[in-house]
Amino acid sequence: MKAVIKHEIPGRMRVHLSKPRFSYREADTLQYYLEGFPCIEKAVVYERTADAVIRYSGDRNEIIRIIRDYSYEKTEVPESVFESSSRELNAKYYEDIITKTVWHYGKRLLMPVPARIALTCLKSLCYIWRGLKTIREKKLKVELLDAIAISASVLVKDYSTASSVMFLLGIGDTLEEWTHKKCATDLARQMSLNISRVWKVCGTDEVLTDADRIVSGDLVVIRMGNIIPFDGVVAKGEAMVNQASMTGEAIPVRKEEGGSVFAGTVVEEGEITVRVTAVGGNGRYDKIVRMIEESEKLKSGLESKAEGLADRLVPYTLAGAALTFLLSRNVTKAVSVLMVDYSCALKLAMPISVLSAIREAGENGVTVKGGKFLEAVSEADVMVFDKTGTLTKAEPTVKDVVSFNGESSDELLREAACLEEHFPHSIANAVVKAAADKGLTHEELHTKVEYVVAHGISSEINGKIALIGSYHFVFEDEGVSIPDDKQEQFDSLPDEYSHLYYAKDGRLAAVILIEDPLREDAGCVVNALRKQGISHIVMMTGDSERTAKKIATLVGVDEYHSEVLPEDKAGFVEAKKKNRHKVIMIGDGINDSPALSAADAGIAISDGAEIARQIADITIGGDELQKIVTLKALSDKLMKRIRFNYRTIVGFNSGLIVLGLLGVLSPSASALFHNASTIVLGLNSTTKLLKKDCEENRKHV
Amino acid sequence: MKWSKLGLFVGGVLFGTAGIKILSSKDAKKVYTHCTAAVLRAKDTVMDQATVLQENCTDIFEAAKQINEERAAKEQETEIKEETAEV
Repeated sequence: MKAVIKHEIPGRMRVHLSKPRFSYREADTLQYYLEGFPCIEKAVVYERTADAVIRYSGDRNEIIRIIRDYSYEKTEVPESVFESSSRELNAKYYEDIITKTVWHYGKRLLMPVPARIALTCLKSLCYIWRGLKTIREKKLKVELLDAIAISASVLVKDYSTASSVMFLLGIGDTLEEWTHKKCATDLARQMSLNISRVWKVCGTDEVLTDADRIVSGDLVVIRMGNIIPFDGVVAKGEAMVNQASMTGEAIPVRKEEGGSVFAGTVVEEGEITVRVTAVGGNGRYDKIVRMIEESEKLKSGLESKAEGLADRLVPYTLAGAALTFLLSRNVTKAVSVLMVDYSCALKLAMPISVLSAIREAGENGVTVKGGKFLEAVSEADVMVFDKTGTLTKAEPTVKDVVSFNGESSDELLREAACLEEHFPHSIANAVVKAAADKGLTHEELHTKVEYVVAHGISSEINGKIALIGSYHFVFEDEGVSIPDDKQEQFDSLPDEYSHLYYAKDGRLAAVILIEDPLREDAGCVVNALRKQGISHIVMMTGDSERTAKKIATLVGVDEYHSEVLPEDKAGFVEAKKKNRHKVIMIGDGINDSPALSAADAGIAISDGAEIARQIADITIGGDELQKIVTLKALSDKLMKRIRFNYRTIVGFNSGLIVLGLLGVLSPSASALFHNASTIVLGLNSTTKLLKKDCEENRKHV
Repeated sequence: MKWSKLGLFVGGVLFGTAGIKILSSKDAKKVYTHCTAAVLRAKDTVMDQATVLQENCTDIFEAAKQINEERAAKEQETEIKEETAEV
């Protein structure tokens, strides 16, 4: 496409494409196209001006070629990109705020004074009505103070103050709404794009199929820990389904044959075959957004905290105004106390701070589901790590398969992979991957697979019971025996690997040695977190005491628990919470989900099971444990900024009140200072929290 | 006095009959529509200008940042040069 370079510095250019403006769809397409190239670091497309700002590394001519090659018609973009684009939403709120601002400052040029006064009075009625409504609730709230301030300034004929107070309150409301919507859509985008492949039933077989190839009427198998990707009816099996994302109810619901299941809900236990009734694409994304919005989770604790703080100041302000009036018998002075309204500054600065912190977290690959979780992270003093997949590499590898029944290792690995491929667990993935790497393909040999949380899998292969899992599960629960002549070989298995036991027909068939190397940065991260104020770091694992001890000393945790069950993890978190500790839980699997939801802030590593991601309050993208340190630094800084905002707002405005009372400042002057300080604080709150510290932090570690 | 009151009365009657008719006539509606369209266009222009302003401000900001980075780099370079000279 033809384009003109409008502005250029090394590494960044702004180009105008030969079009007066883009539709939202065109803008999204261009952005998707540009961001697909590795040499382009960041692209921003402005739909109104048909401009694109491109940050790039490498050759300039390459970028020019890319732009020249672009064609809207020829670029193929997955529908989900448009579905989940927040461009229209942002445009709407952006327009709203610009219009409000331009109108507020421009109306004196367009409207005669009497009309402006009439408009202000009319608008103030709105706010007065809101204030009166709070009286009925018998609470002193900010709305009442707003109403009194506005009506008082209307009564003393100070219309411009009344109108600017209303303007700031309006902007604050819009920003708060924007914060909410933005978080919800960002979150939904992450969630909706994650479901990519499902098990489809074809005759007697199950085939892994791309989710977008599923049509209405197909049968899909969903097992424990997976999100149900489509609306449908249960055709076979039964399961406990967590519908929290839909209803907000945390207790799972039992679903049997004939029951309806909904897209976005999660199978917590059991296994069901679902006949799909509605395929993704028709509003699934919107549904997720609505679900998230409705769930209380998103209601940012911080914002409401700011409102609470503002509410607490109301009686003092009212008393101050009354006292001033009694002492001075001067309405103007009394009004000047009311005029300095703490609430609009608080209401404006808090949502902006939270929004920009959540956005900044997003830029660092961390999705936060609400401001209050940042608060929890900042206040936390206990941190519980799950071992596998969190402290250790997300991808454990199969080191060796030791045969105990004479069959070849490869054959045993093939069978194990056949069982394991149905389950979202990092160890299971390792087995499947090892088989695939050796080119061991298989027919589905086994019957129905049953999964025992944190223990293992049982099924039947060729009519024989096949078990795969931990020592506890295979030997103690299921009573499997070791072939007599092999006891010695069994005892001499190397310690440094985790062992996965595979038994057939009551006898041990193979031990799969799994190497689960520690992440290189695990030790540093634990140290860094301790420096950041986490006083107690705990590791919990389902692994044996031996492996756990080794890892624990390597990482340097304060406490470790081995061979724990999922309930134990949650129980531990609850117990710590009861002792007035704030607890962060970090995990990745199904067995972590009870603990994740019990903790003050549950953090999921996004390579793990979907249920963990859905239940978690914060998800960390990719493979970097380091991001926990970044997240902690970010939330500390956010809390610092919020406290700073609060102190500044209260201090500065109290100063204005005093000066107003002494007669140094006229009410309109104090209103001007008040508004100016509010805007400056608001703008300051949009700046990045981490800045270059990010690099410092890295060095620090 | 009397005449002016009568005038007001007649005016009121006229407005109540013909005036309302004119204000709600098809032609008047056309005028309203065009006025509204003009207002919307004006709003759109304002939004365009706001975006252009935003773009230019970011350009300036980014360029300014780069100038400072270059300066810092140059200063460091001279420092290093001086140090090596001392050595």
